[in-house]
Amino acid sequence: MYWEQSLETLDRSSLEKLQIERLTNSLQLAVRSSHYGRCPAIGRLLDSGIKSIEQIRDLPFTTKDDLRRDFPWGFLAADKKDVVRLHSSSGTTGNPTVVYHNRHDLDSWANLMARSLYAAGVRETDVFQNICGYGLFTGGLGFQYGIEKLGCLSIPAGAGNSPRQIKLMRDFGTTVAHAIPSYLGRLFDVFKEEDLDPREDTRLHTLVIGAEPHTEEHRRRIEEMFGVRAFNSFGLSEMNGPGVAFECIEQNGLHVWEDAFVVEIIDPDTLEPVPDGEIGELVMTTLDRQAMPVIRFRTRDLTRILPGPCPCGRTHRRLDRISGRSDDMFIIKGCNVFPMQVEGILMKLPEVGDDYRIILQTIEDQDEMIVEVEVKKDWFRGDLTLLDRLQKHITHLIRDEVLVRPLIRLVEPGSIPKAEGKAVRVLDQRRK
Amino acid sequence: MTYQVSVFLENRLGRLEKVTALLREAQINIRSIHLNHTANDWGILNLVVSRPELACEKLNASGMSAALREIVVLTMDDKPGGLDVLLKAIAGAGVSFTNAYGRIVNEGGSAFFMVDVQDIPEARSRLAGAGLEIIEDAQVYGS
Ligand SMILES: [Zn+2]
Repeated sequence: MYWEQSLETLDRSSLEKLQIERLTNSLQLAVRSSHYGRCPAIGRLLDSGIKSIEQIRDLPFTTKDDLRRDFPWGFLAADKKDVVRLHSSSGTTGNPTVVYHNRHDLDSWANLMARSLYAAGVRETDVFQNICGYGLFTGGLGFQYGIEKLGCLSIPAGAGNSPRQIKLMRDFGTTVAHAIPSYLGRLFDVFKEEDLDPREDTRLHTLVIGAEPHTEEHRRRIEEMFGVRAFNSFGLSEMNGPGVAFECIEQNGLHVWEDAFVVEIIDPDTLEPVPDGEIGELVMTTLDRQAMPVIRFRTRDLTRILPGPCPCGRTHRRLDRISGRSDDMFIIKGCNVFPMQVEGILMKLPEVGDDYRIILQTIEDQDEMIVEVEVKKDWFRGDLTLLDRLQKHITHLIRDEVLVRPLIRLVEPGSIPKAEGKAVRVLDQRRK
Repeated sequence: MTYQVSVFLENRLGRLEKVTALLREAQINIRSIHLNHTANDWGILNLVVSRPELACEKLNASGMSAALREIVVLTMDDKPGGLDVLLKAIAGAGVSFTNAYGRIVNEGGSAFFMVDVQDIPEARSRLAGAGLEIIEDAQVYGS
């Protein structure tokens, strides 16, 4: 049931002791980097000694802009000769960011990944197909090392080429696959085009989905399509990548591995901590990465700590699924809107497909929110009245949720342009 | 039973041509066409064709959304007042339709009038009861 029983079920006070010990080590390493070397607060905290993990609040935050500004070497805390890998995220604007790992870091990451997959019920007898870009993107190699550590037969399939993915699944009897949720709808369509049913024609029992925020409804839909249980995986490249937090078989919140990370939830405006159960911005600190410790990283992801223990017996606290990103939010007609609110509504409707797009446009001097929605093929009966009714229904549901009346544009299935990797959900074409 | 092929179409350049090209390639004859667009950039294209099942299959396989939809086909005279006579008879039978379109069969002779109603069996019995001739599928498809 556990990959590392003693660590995963460690009582909270021992867990905090371990965190303090590891934070102290991390800070001692961090100051060797030019970025954290300039930070007197770290020295002060180390001098006085850390007594409670809450003292981490005495340290300044690290932002994505910091990582960009000090690109490429400013956060490196180790000798370059000891570093064995880097992962870099492409910057669409300005500098990219980079994360370095030494051998210990890669091992620790692979272990967290294996622990995560084990918690979701994956075992060494499984055949694991990783449908994910390899290379600089952390989802490829991050999963790969974890799958191997766990001992599954791994299929490093990479992203795309759905007919080949299906062939691999059938040839090798894939039982577990990892993919981003927006891809799985497309994969399912290809199954149908080939007259195959993934429920009958594959041996899949588990899907791991992550890298894109998605709703509970979306997960249930994926489970239904493939006849599997789907587990939510959370990670971010600044905290290694996948393997930061993961759902156990209870499928109720993601255990965040607190022996490897310090988790804080803050109010993004006041920057003050919010109590467990309340939504705020996730802030994370690495505890077990030597080549590049990152302290109090503002993830921009909005979530909350689920209060109370998990029936699985793990003592590491659970994060709720990500409900959006503080920088995804847009303001239209004076209302704050998160794309996840719109997604939550669409995923409840059996008539529409998994892809959607929000376009913000200035029409006759008015800012409008256009929502493109794909009409599902098997629902279409050639009846204009039903389509009209569907359009009005979606309009009302969204208006009630976000308080802005959207323009709903029904589109043909497959006509919403697919983005590589994460799906592009919002297009802002407003006249500024 | 007579079927039209209904296709969901976005109001974008080249969408209609995609449909006609596909049917041409499959050697399917289009006997009547009717575009039902809303003001919302999308609508439904209704087609009466020589082989509806095949057309529907081809369109769906190409990624479009197409469905077979049962219709009632009536006949009318191709002369002034022909449609008026027919519409009065349909109304007299107590049948209301959601969509309708026509096709001339031979110049100055007769024309087909395609009617989309919610309750087909009910409409058929009422129209037949009112003495209207319902054209059967073989004749409509022209096979
Ligand atoms: Zn649990």
